Amino acid sequence: MAEVEETLKRIQSQKGVQGIIIVNSEGIPVKSTLDNQSTVQYSALIHQLVMKARSTLRDIDPQNDLTFLRVRSKKNEIMIAPDKDYFLIVIQNPSA
Amino acid sequence: MFADEDLDSVSVESVWRKSQQGAQESVRVKRSATADAHLVLFCVTRFWFCLFQRACQTPAVTTEHAGVQTGSKTSRFTQTEPQEQMDPKRVFSGSGSDPPGLVDFLRRVEELLIRELEKNSRSHAFDGFRANWEERSQQVSHLHRLEHPGAQEQGLHVTAVSWSCTGSVIACAYGRTDDGDWTNQKSCVCLWNLDRRGLRPKQPDLVLDVPAAVTAVCCHPERPALIAGGLYNGEVVVWDTSRTQDPVLAQTGMSADSHREPVYQVFWVPLEKKGEFGVLSSSSGGRVLLWTVDPDQGRMVLVAAYAFVQQQVPHSSRLKARGGSTVGVTATALSPWDPDTFLVGSEGGLLLRCSFSSQTPAAVTSEGRSVTPRAPAVFSFRPSGGPVHSIHCSPFHRNLFASAGTDGLVQVRSLLQADPLLSVRVSDSYVFQVQWSPSRPLVFAAATGRGEVQIFDLARKSLRPAGTIQDGAPGRTATCLAFNSQNHRLLAAGRSDGSVGIWRLSSELMEQRPSESLQLEQIANQVAE
Repeated sequence: MAEVEETLKRIQSQKGVQGIIIVNSEGIPVKSTLDNQSTVQYSALIHQLVMKARSTLRDIDPQNDLTFLRVRSKKNEIMIAPDKDYFLIVIQNPSA
Repeated sequence: MFADEDLDSVSVESVWRKSQQGAQESVRVKRSATADAHLVLFCVTRFWFCLFQRACQTPAVTTEHAGVQTGSKTSRFTQTEPQEQMDPKRVFSGSGSDPPGLVDFLRRVEELLIRELEKNSRSHAFDGFRANWEERSQQVSHLHRLEHPGAQEQGLHVTAVSWSCTGSVIACAYGRTDDGDWTNQKSCVCLWNLDRRGLRPKQPDLVLDVPAAVTAVCCHPERPALIAGGLYNGEVVVWDTSRTQDPVLAQTGMSADSHREPVYQVFWVPLEKKGEFGVLSSSSGGRVLLWTVDPDQGRMVLVAAYAFVQQQVPHSSRLKARGGSTVGVTATALSPWDPDTFLVGSEGGLLLRCSFSSQTPAAVTSEGRSVTPRAPAVFSFRPSGGPVHSIHCSPFHRNLFASAGTDGLVQVRSLLQADPLLSVRVSDSYVFQVQWSPSRPLVFAAATGRGEVQIFDLARKSLRPAGTIQDGAPGRTATCLAFNSQNHRLLAAGRSDGSVGIWRLSSELMEQRPSESLQLEQIANQVAE
């Protein structure tokens, strides 16, 4: 649908964005702007990471929940917005 | 509804003709009762209304009974869990129906995400911050000094060093760098395995005796046992260190095809057939030859020849032709990005970009050579002020390469333009070899005639080197160096006193910083005035 594409385009046009992946609640990528292999790799690994992060928070405080996850690395930053049905993963290189 | 039944066969005697086929045999039929009744009716009607008889016969059906009994029984069950299939064809559906709820999800999340992206691109929170995963060393430290007493007695210099593809073996070639004449001096190629526990710096693990001085050596990029070497008398030899009796696998010999002048560089190049490699050798006789190895006959077969003649070198208006008619090739470099391009530097200071696939024949007499030489030069860069000793293409940017010669400068050039982008004064004397670092895009190392190996970091604003490696007494030239592509910490430097120093680099010289590729890109895009 056009609205989904437009939203993705808006996000992609932000400074330094290298790729966007939308993953469903089972860890299967639904939409992506990266190539096949990277997408599959990112979605499987990040899905596990988000589940782990969420369970960590809820173990510490059951009233709390994960709202946003940022993983900063030497080369870029991965931002993950989790939700009940989907995750949105954006890879950004802030210095580019 | 259906059940197996045995029914008697139905036969209707012919009223018109006697049966010809002999006894009709009964055929056991298993069918449902209703279907059989229909069949019977059909057969009967057929027989009554048509005037000819059809008969069919089957060969005798033999039956046997046999009995089987099991002695012991076990029963097992298995079950598989349904696997989550990652069906790659299912994803990234550009068109077609989107999964439900996707639009709402994106609406909820988009604003938050865009805010975070903007904040991140403006943020300075992490500038200069680095996590300390490994122990960082501040200094460059000396690990080993490898010497071969036999070679040192003869006064041989180290002319070339090369790391094997596994990163643990270093091959050092001995010869002389200051001789201009033919010599009959025997020399050797020594190998040390640095990862071995009993490493003895004064005793090589393997010594390959060579009848002439070795001027170039290169290890095979995939098979650790193969080493290619170029000799002072123009021969190219391939050694196989896994063979115990005679390590020489193939050599060119002194044929009409081979070089007549010292071979200054050898490389392994991938051939068209995947997995096969050929040897590219360049000599100061102005020729670059491509050989394949024929291990059964022990020969190297010439596949392609490229010859450089002064008249065929492309000139721009500013360049003046120098020297005689042949262009003596002293340095070659292959581009890791484009398998068709290679760079050549000459004794007269010319720097040329050449192509493997050029078809123009060279203006040399092909005296009994099996392959006609071609002229590969495509583009000519602004020449440097003296013979070019070394060229190396950057592994991080497809257009950049560094060249070094006797004028003491290392010039960073782009493949796209004739003038150099940057000239860095490395030393007052000659520069024998320059190589880009395999781990940091902005770092290169140069071996100078003063005996020092200077490591430059282009990210620094100052023109002074980021590190200087001085091994032993000054005054001995450092003739060659090689970065270890597997273990990025190690650097090998060979000297004219016959010793090879192995150095471990500091973390600063080794680890890539976040914006280095960007800076490299900026340097490459500069246009020289």
